Amino acid sequence: MRHPLTIIALVAACAMPTQAFAADADALLRAAFDNWRAKSSQTEIAMIVHRPDWQRSMQMKAWTQGDDEALVRFVAPAKDAGNATLKKSDGTWVFNPKLNQVIKLPASMLAQSWMGSDFSYNDLSKSNEVLTDYTHKIIGETKKDGHTVYTIEAIPKPGAPVVWGKLEIVVRDDGVMLGETYFDQDMKTVRAMTTDKVSKIGGREYPVIMTMTLANEPGKWTRIETKSGTFNTDMPGYLFTLSNLQNPRN
Amino acid sequence: MVVGLAWRNIWRQPHRTALSLISIALACTITIFLLALQLGAYGTMKESVLRMLDGFAQVQPQGYADDPDLRKSIVDPQAVMKQLDHLPAVSASAPRASTYVILSNGPRSYGAAIFGVDPVREPHVSTLGTTITHGRYLKVGDSDAVVVGEGLARNLKLSVGGNLTMLGAVRDGSVAADVLKVVGIFATGSSEVDRQVIEIPLARFQNTFALGKRVNTIALVGHHLSDIQSALPQLHRIAQNNGLVLREWTKLQPALHDVILLDGSFSVMLYVSLIIIVVFIILNTLLMSVLERTREFGMLMAIGMRPSQIGRMIWLELLFLAGTGAAIGIAIGAALTYWTAQKGLAFSGAEALFQQWHMPSTLYPQLDATSALAGPLAIVLCIAIAGIVPYLRARRLEPVSAMRAT
Repeated sequence: MRHPLTIIALVAACAMPTQAFAADADALLRAAFDNWRAKSSQTEIAMIVHRPDWQRSMQMKAWTQGDDEALVRFVAPAKDAGNATLKKSDGTWVFNPKLNQVIKLPASMLAQSWMGSDFSYNDLSKSNEVLTDYTHKIIGETKKDGHTVYTIEAIPKPGAPVVWGKLEIVVRDDGVMLGETYFDQDMKTVRAMTTDKVSKIGGREYPVIMTMTLANEPGKWTRIETKSGTFNTDMPGYLFTLSNLQNPRN
Repeated sequence: MVVGLAWRNIWRQPHRTALSLISIALACTITIFLLALQLGAYGTMKESVLRMLDGFAQVQPQGYADDPDLRKSIVDPQAVMKQLDHLPAVSASAPRASTYVILSNGPRSYGAAIFGVDPVREPHVSTLGTTITHGRYLKVGDSDAVVVGEGLARNLKLSVGGNLTMLGAVRDGSVAADVLKVVGIFATGSSEVDRQVIEIPLARFQNTFALGKRVNTIALVGHHLSDIQSALPQLHRIAQNNGLVLREWTKLQPALHDVILLDGSFSVMLYVSLIIIVVFIILNTLLMSVLERTREFGMLMAIGMRPSQIGRMIWLELLFLAGTGAAIGIAIGAALTYWTAQKGLAFSGAEALFQQWHMPSTLYPQLDATSALAGPLAIVLCIAIAGIVPYLRARRLEPVSAMRAT
């Protein structure tokens, strides 16, 4: 009779290549999010919402900390300035300066468009669910500009509370996010985010211009351009609080 | 001659004929009354559901139904309404603007559909204003007033006089925010509407959402749904001329349409079984009279009558029976239905059931050509077709063997 340990070792040896591959996909995605938001981030962003018959642009400041906390405050144009969105692990709140009031978003509204863009409140508040609620697999690998570019397929875990049927995320080997395609339950493309420009911000290679397009509605897109950013700095404790949302100290 | 013979033949057995006539007449009366009651109930159901909010039809911008975007709007609603009101079928029309917003009161917030309505025109189209349980409906001169459904008011812990905060998006996507004062709480009985709808004055809506003079839809009603239905071609034309589309009631309330179709198809099965039973009773009676008259037919053939003439005679007997019965049935059925239609049929104790479809519990049968003639015609037709059986039987008769038949 063989020693049980031998069998375990054999099984482990067989399982290892796939595990290593899966770990790779996980690690790449993690790296992409670390690059995108780091432990904490403070960025200045311009957003352009484009429609066939109109277009408007907004300026905002955004702070993130960890996976759960995010604060976005609009600074321009004048009629939008002061509007802010706070996302914490237990909810999403918006502040409107005209009302001078903080409103907690009902769960039913989280799928609605955020500030008229092609992003939803969910995109803000669940932006890291791809890490936790999906299983990842590398399905493609190409070389571009001296980097290896991986395409990662993310399938929702059984029972995960997600709306997408599948995600495909394109990540560069240094953790720069190059694109994300969203598929519905029938595996049809719903919308796609592509990185149009990568350059150095806050000491790191960063996807500075990203565009979200809708598959069914040509002529509609939203572009976000990160103008400046600092990463991994210490955030004051009051930053992600409701009182700071209403009476900004930053 | 055959006609005279047939007519006299059916009165040779007055009792049997009377019984046959009664069963046909009764079947006709029942189908007329039930069909009229059913049509009347459907009519009431449709009109009360549609009158509540949707209207009998709506004029909308292209593609609005699939994607109700605030930007898809009617630029000059006054001009369109003027053309609509000009039609005799249209008794009232009302402009509306609507979008989805977040409503908040203190720590509570819910999503809801907000309608901007014209306080003058709206009550002529929608009965929502008559279901106010607390406070009042919107009136001319209101500015920051809002009426809220009962369910929403409960969820948000709102009462008349309270403030309601509203957060939404303007046409260009920037933030629309407003604080409104609750002037009334309505209870339509539809939990969906009561939980998800609020109404504010159109002018306030257009101002808050930067709509200018634009609206999103025009709802219209007639005195009866049938008026609007028969004016559909003109309505479609008006909508088309203005670059808009007309949505019929079946598209506004597809669920109601389906429920009625389903209920109707069940009833058709009931009517069909009733008709089949009656037809078999009559057929049975006539077959018996054919069998017992076999020797008589043999005699008739012996003195020169052709089998086809005998067959035709029997068939005519059947038609006379069915025709007379149907005529009596139509007379009684129509009279009964007319009388009930004048008085109304009250279903006491069934208010809760009717409330589900926002219907009053008194129903008025709808007596028209369809309800009065559909049942009797079907019965007469079926009997006429069934008459082929005795007709063929008579044609097969041989004079000699027929005369010897026992």
